[in-house]
Amino acid sequence: MLGVGWILVQLVLTILAVGVVYGNLLGQDLRTFLPFLTVGLVVWAFLTAAIVEGGQALVASEGYIKQIGLPIHVYILRFFVSVSVTAAINLAAYALVAAIYRVPLGWGVLWAIPGFALLALTGLFLVTIFAHVNTRFRDATHLAGVALQVLFYVTPVIWPAAMLRDRRLAWIVDANPLYHLLEIIRQPLLSSRPATVENYVVGLAFAAVLGVFAAVIVASYSRRIVYLL
Amino acid sequence: MRDTGGMTPQITLREAVVEFTADAYLETSLKTTLLGLPWRRRTSPRTIQALRQISLEIRGSERVGLVGPNGAGKTTLLKVMAGIYPPQRGQVHVEGRVCPLFEFATGFEMEATGWDNIRTRALLLGMSAREIQEKISEIASFSGLGEFLDVPVRCYSSGMLLRLAFATSTAVEPEILLLDEVMAAGDASFIHRARTRMDAMMERARIVVFATHVLDMLPKMCERTIWLDHGRIVLDGPTADVVSAYLDEVERRRD
Repeated sequence: MLGVGWILVQLVLTILAVGVVYGNLLGQDLRTFLPFLTVGLVVWAFLTAAIVEGGQALVASEGYIKQIGLPIHVYILRFFVSVSVTAAINLAAYALVAAIYRVPLGWGVLWAIPGFALLALTGLFLVTIFAHVNTRFRDATHLAGVALQVLFYVTPVIWPAAMLRDRRLAWIVDANPLYHLLEIIRQPLLSSRPATVENYVVGLAFAAVLGVFAAVIVASYSRRIVYLL
Repeated sequence: MRDTGGMTPQITLREAVVEFTADAYLETSLKTTLLGLPWRRRTSPRTIQALRQISLEIRGSERVGLVGPNGAGKTTLLKVMAGIYPPQRGQVHVEGRVCPLFEFATGFEMEATGWDNIRTRALLLGMSAREIQEKISEIASFSGLGEFLDVPVRCYSSGMLLRLAFATSTAVEPEILLLDEVMAAGDASFIHRARTRMDAMMERARIVVFATHVLDMLPKMCERTIWLDHGRIVLDGPTADVVSAYLDEVERRRD
């Protein structure tokens, strides 16, 4: 149980630190900023884990893969489930934050369900892609981790997208598929409303591209991956 | 898993070829690959032929020994039968629930306890949750690890890891049992108990294929033996004939 506790402690500490510093720095009302921040961080942590932890799915399973002739997707699903469980625990923490700050709740919050489905699918594709690529190029997840760090600063996770829009830099946000993915989950949770049509279209297209990429990789490399371990 | 539902287990290989690309020649860094450093001397990856057009058939309730020098392809052949290495060319057809017992040095969750490692390994070997429930106390007691099972396995010695993996893997109900020189480690009393347990497991299996260097055991254990060298089948026939031909060859090379 302590393990689960640590996941939450880590999240709470991040929210407090980032929330207090950036909330004040950006002149935000903490009652709306903290729930906003929590959702963003939970989604971001999930995507990062899918790439960085999920990327180890096959390399870390080498001992099993070389001893037992199971289909490769067993190991990919195993890591996907573990990453998803962590995200689910983090979401429970969001529920607590939302309750504390009395985020208004309506039926529209159910729009979050298709959002979670799309996020999960995106995560599964990311785990699949990086698990394979990282087996061939062992520095792939490391490089992706560096890229994610850069992306984190240009994606509205700890700052509201509206702030860039006011400064006529909307394109930075709109060109980023991760922003649309975030909105698909953030809008229903925070305002009990669906996200914009544009958010859904870009989010779906992004997942579809990843899905095709993942399918191609699985079809051409899954069976032969054991030779690269 | 691959349950045959009453069908006769069998293994068929037709001109199966397995090649490995030597690791040392393969660039594993994405950075270097993308940058493509043109002044670096490029070496084309070297392939090693592990199995060259192997054809064989094992069916019914056969016990088959594999002999040959190190690097002959014994382990690779077993891993092809286990579905671990898909051959580059040729076909492999295996019917029946396969239980591979190869090495017990890898395949652990180092941060997890002994109990959890038993469950993980058993699941991956195709046991159902119920089967595990039924067998876990027997596995634990055979391992002889007692209270150490509550401890993360990163604290185990290599002998303890071996006991854990062996106890779990030999609890499976196999149709096809693939063995690769597994009796190498453990203390004297464990080796003796392991021997008995292994024999019982071999009794339960329909097909047994095992690679060994201990030739005097072979005639007692199997009626058929395959002699491999450089990825080819040199001889395939009754154990007594193959073993004596193989020993003659070993003798001849020594002179």
